[in-house]
Amino acid sequence: MSIPGLHLTQIGRGDFLLDPSKSLNTRNSGQLIEAIAARLLQAHAVRLYYDLSDQSLIDPVYYAWLDMLARAMQAINVRMICIQMQPTAAFALSRFLQEKPQFETALDIDGWR
Amino acid sequence: MVARKSGSEKLKGLFGLKISGIAPELEASGIKYFCGDQRLMDPEEVADISLEFESLVVSLLGSKDPTDLQSPEFHALEFFFGSLSQQVLMRGGHVEDVVRYTQSLQLGLIDALSKASGIAFSESRTVLLYFTGIFNELIMAVFRAYLEERESTMQAQQAEIRETATPITEIWDGVLTLPIIGTLDSSRTMLVMEALLNRIAKDHAKAVVMDLTGVKSIDSQVSHHLIQMVRAVQLMGSDAIITGIHPEIARALVSLNIDFNNITTRASMSDGLKEAFSRMGITVSH
Repeated sequence: MSIPGLHLTQIGRGDFLLDPSKSLNTRNSGQLIEAIAARLLQAHAVRLYYDLSDQSLIDPVYYAWLDMLARAMQAINVRMICIQMQPTAAFALSRFLQEKPQFETALDIDGWR
Repeated sequence: MVARKSGSEKLKGLFGLKISGIAPELEASGIKYFCGDQRLMDPEEVADISLEFESLVVSLLGSKDPTDLQSPEFHALEFFFGSLSQQVLMRGGHVEDVVRYTQSLQLGLIDALSKASGIAFSESRTVLLYFTGIFNELIMAVFRAYLEERESTMQAQQAEIRETATPITEIWDGVLTLPIIGTLDSSRTMLVMEALLNRIAKDHAKAVVMDLTGVKSIDSQVSHHLIQMVRAVQLMGSDAIITGIHPEIARALVSLNIDFNNITTRASMSDGLKEAFSRMGITVSH
């Protein structure tokens, strides 16, 4: 399914992979979350893997987007797992993170399974 | 017989010289400073560098403007001395050896040129000033090479110390251990964290056991760094297990109000490893 700035692909029964592209505009977070949630609900999704392999830095703005998306996923009973977080991104995020994030993390999809 | 000429005439004469075959006379300086007790070079090597030096000097004196310190000919000469300096230092020589060699070469060159041309260059203030200017710059090139070499040696040593200070070992497929010894300050924590996170990504490590047995004291800043490190490991999707917390450290952590809710701790490194293995579905039996 094509959502501006995101690729959402079904990778198994109930599993979806969300791959953000460089053109992702998190200012439209409300519309993006609505479109993602609609697709996941339609497919009876259980898990959403958010691929962070191209995200070398996670700043407070990007984290706010991830947090908002994770809370929305909790609301529709979908587990959100961020995978392939880069060392630089983990380092930056750990510096300002005050509490446990709303999403789970894994090295990759296989690591989670 | 040595001819009598004015300073500027001698300088002109110097620049117009067709020089060849002075290398053997220049070897004495090299033999004296590089073939002594230290055996920094063989006599054959000294002969080679003397020949190379002669050819570079001939190029400089025959160039469009031999006084131009920006000319390619002069840069080639500078490069020659820089490389020589590095070569001698790498063989265990001292910068003083190269500087004394360069000074001795200056006198040897003037003598050799006087003999070859029949002009008393050593009596001309203009010629001596010209060579002094050239050789001062060459000595600077020797020192620059020495400082560069020393700087790179220091950087290599620092990198080695950093590596040995953070001995991250993959003790099992996907399990890393990191014994932390000594004091954890901000800069060291950053280095440890950088090395650890990169290693997790590289080895696809599923668990990291951080052993604090070697940490004798902890303060607010250090504990904050530690929590930050654990959090970063967890964010990458690995499990972080902290082991070897001394009673004094435990008391300090409590008084510092550090939240250990989401952090797995075990008494010893072996317990930490057992925990890591069990999370990976590996059973360890005696």
